[in-house]
Amino acid sequence: MTTQKTSLPRQRAFLVDVERCIGCFTCAMACKNYYHQETGVVWRQLYPLDEAIYPHRERAFFSLACNHCENPACLNACPVKAYEKREDGVVVHHQDRCIGCGNCIRSCPYGAPRYNPVLKKAEKCSLCHERLDAGKQPACVQSCPVRALRLVDIAALSTTDAANAVQYPAGYPEMPQVNPSTRFIMPRTPRVVRR
Amino acid sequence: MSRRSFLKGLIASGALATLPCGLLLPRNASAAPFNKADFQIFRNACPRNCYDTCSIVTYVRDGVVRFVEGAPESTYTAGGLCVKGYSYPRRVYSPDRIKYPMVQDGRGSGNWRRVSWDEAMERIARKLLEIKERDGNLLGLALTKYSGNFGITNYGVEGMMSSLGYTTRLVGTPCWPAGIDAQNYDLGDMWCNDPEDMEKSRYVIIWGANPAWCSVHSMKYVYAARDRGAKIVVIDPVLTQTSAKGDVAWQPETGSDGALALGMARHVLDLGLVDRDFVANNAVGFEEFAAYLRQNVTVEWAAEKSGIPADEIRRVAEEFATARPATIWIGYGMQRHVNGGAAVRAIDALVAMTGNVGKVGGGARYGHLQTWGFNYHAMIQKAPAGSIGFTGKAGPKGEFDVTAGAAAAAAYTDRALNINKTAQELLDAQNPPVRVLWSSCKNPFAQDFDRNKLEKAFNKLEMVVSVEQFFTETVRHSDIVLPVTTLFEEWTVNASYWHYWVSLNEQAIAPMHEAKSNIEIAALLSKHMNRLSPGSCTYPQDIDTKEWMEKEFNKGVYDLLGITHWQDLRKGPAKAKMPSSASWSDRKFKTPSGKYEFRSDLCASHGHKALPEYKEGRKPYAPYRLLTPHSKFAIHSQFANLDWMEEFQTEPFVYLNPALARAKGIADLDTVRVFNPIGEVKLRAKITNTVPGDCLLMYEAWFRKLNFNVQNLVDDESADMGAYKTGAPGVAIHDQFADVARA
Repeated sequence: MTTQKTSLPRQRAFLVDVERCIGCFTCAMACKNYYHQETGVVWRQLYPLDEAIYPHRERAFFSLACNHCENPACLNACPVKAYEKREDGVVVHHQDRCIGCGNCIRSCPYGAPRYNPVLKKAEKCSLCHERLDAGKQPACVQSCPVRALRLVDIAALSTTDAANAVQYPAGYPEMPQVNPSTRFIMPRTPRVVRR
Repeated sequence: MSRRSFLKGLIASGALATLPCGLLLPRNASAAPFNKADFQIFRNACPRNCYDTCSIVTYVRDGVVRFVEGAPESTYTAGGLCVKGYSYPRRVYSPDRIKYPMVQDGRGSGNWRRVSWDEAMERIARKLLEIKERDGNLLGLALTKYSGNFGITNYGVEGMMSSLGYTTRLVGTPCWPAGIDAQNYDLGDMWCNDPEDMEKSRYVIIWGANPAWCSVHSMKYVYAARDRGAKIVVIDPVLTQTSAKGDVAWQPETGSDGALALGMARHVLDLGLVDRDFVANNAVGFEEFAAYLRQNVTVEWAAEKSGIPADEIRRVAEEFATARPATIWIGYGMQRHVNGGAAVRAIDALVAMTGNVGKVGGGARYGHLQTWGFNYHAMIQKAPAGSIGFTGKAGPKGEFDVTAGAAAAAAYTDRALNINKTAQELLDAQNPPVRVLWSSCKNPFAQDFDRNKLEKAFNKLEMVVSVEQFFTETVRHSDIVLPVTTLFEEWTVNASYWHYWVSLNEQAIAPMHEAKSNIEIAALLSKHMNRLSPGSCTYPQDIDTKEWMEKEFNKGVYDLLGITHWQDLRKGPAKAKMPSSASWSDRKFKTPSGKYEFRSDLCASHGHKALPEYKEGRKPYAPYRLLTPHSKFAIHSQFANLDWMEEFQTEPFVYLNPALARAKGIADLDTVRVFNPIGEVKLRAKITNTVPGDCLLMYEAWFRKLNFNVQNLVDDESADMGAYKTGAPGVAIHDQFADVARA
């Protein structure tokens, strides 16, 4: 990922290429490896697609974390301004300001903010902005062995990606009021020859 | 500075959370700026018997492993690891780790008490001297060791045994032996193309392998081939995650792989698509093989055996034979059958007759040991003078037996028992019986077959010593457990049997608690043996694991890797410099004829067929086929026990086809019993069309809070091949049968 110094990305986002994704949970564990969340607190999770969407159980997945929405419900609901939307679109939760009221957790339609029972505060995917600022990829993106999870600027999606990418695939709630940034490429099925 | 003022200083500087006593307690979950300079960076390498053998970069601060990444220098890992690799920081600092030597008063009682290293070693040394005195030799001491840690210096465990005298060894491998023998008969060695050249293939068949789970970094080459227009065919009785990523997924009858390959070969022959130049100039026995095909094999016969329609077989065979280059990745799943070796030979033959052996982007890919030419200094130890040993048939070997022949002149050997029949062999061994078992780099209760029989075998033993990191079921059946270092706490070096990168493993942190490396344990045992009985053990009594690294390297390894000193690997992993990414590119095979052998007289002399003929599978002894393959969340019993992994995998399931579930009245997530003549397990069922109607599928794992073990149901039936190269035949892990009922 090369970022042009002259023009800051307008909306950084995850591109989840479900066609390539092998459901290996590497991205989810890479996040734990980097942040060591409390037991039970997961920032990135893999969700197997329902068989109505992909005909083979647990063979296609959505890898989901915070969507870094254009109009974040968490930010709007937070009474103490613990949330910030950066210029590059990353939605940052400042835990030092958080009072643990849970408004963000209740308001996010995608369930991204999680409750940390030890700190008694919220937390969520930071898109590794501290790594981005140091010129590194987010931990999950760097970890993906098949480049199924990518960091893109949706304001400047390449034509190929834009043509294939969808915002609201089947199985993913449609929430235009927050305008989630994550984009998806849907999986295909093999020709199955059974006995 | 007193400890108190030191701590006060730390509190003032905000560094308290970094003290090792609070290891890996979550930091404030707000992201902190990343600065590489805040860390010490070390090189590590995953040693856990996996295709990928990932090269790791470890970030350490204040003596604590903070996080790990994949090495960017290796084009294979390309900056990433896998779900297991990323859980390593938790493995090192797991609260469940065994912290110091412990003795269990009453095996299986749970009455563990902490002892000093000296007390533990003295106990063991006295016992060894006692049985040596009683038997007149040390054959009553047996070693079971396999692939829990493939770091080269860990062969010091075998070395420790050799330094005590002649002992009993559980030899062979449950992993890949039938296929190793098959490839040795056909090609003269097991040697695969660089997996990175798979992207140059025009047609890829993945046969009985599931890289999407078991070799995640190989999938990018499969995708790269597909992006360049190659077709991907995946053959597996289960619609695996890899199958879901293929263009075509065949789900044949389990164990029918040989028939399928021969059917394809017959069609290639009929169409005249044989590479005449290769079979005439670089092979022997092709005409005999062709005659066998014409007389005994038809596509319709293969269709009937495998359940794959004849037209489908013809189509894929034709596409495979006309795409150049084309390759087959032969997995370790499809050879774990009573006819597995024969099946691998049939697949080799299909690849060879289409002229794809020795070609970039081609090849019958199985594995290789090209990068394993270390000195094995830790392993090669002399028996004490006057040692008495075994005088029967040849002693043990293994697929990594680089010392073959070295001991040929000795009057005695070690006593070899078949690792794939551990329970039975421990029960049967006589004169002397096995009295003491040493288990290291292995969890027999999770890996050896017929768990109930294994329990009986362990009950016969006088002492069991486990070298472990966690309280496994094997530890529960032990008298003494010795805590062993993780990869971050020792020096070693790791090579892959799949890709061609070799990685240094540096000691990144001080050993946790009282853990010692396997070679340090050997040195300590030597000290105690010699104190009690001077001259009874030849192992050095003082070792420095870093110094011992030096002793493992040689000019051959340096030249292969293009380095001048092993410390060069601190800059990053190095890739072997091979004449070509293709194995056998000069078509000089290591067979007796020097050519590819469609007809192998050596194979015939070992009691098999000379030609890659079809061999029948095992007869069912229960209504459904039971498959117990690898999970993506574990390598055998390793990793699934970590709480980080439990975030993503909470319990085992048996996977059932909807038709079978209906017939048995089982609803999704019902608790069921899976049972067969050797045992049973209880677990919940998931209903899925990824599993065929006559199969029950459960993944291998170890759940620390659950009493679940697939080996309750897996017997020790042998595969057809493996004895030639690995010392014992393989095991027919996938020729197992069972029944299921609602619990």
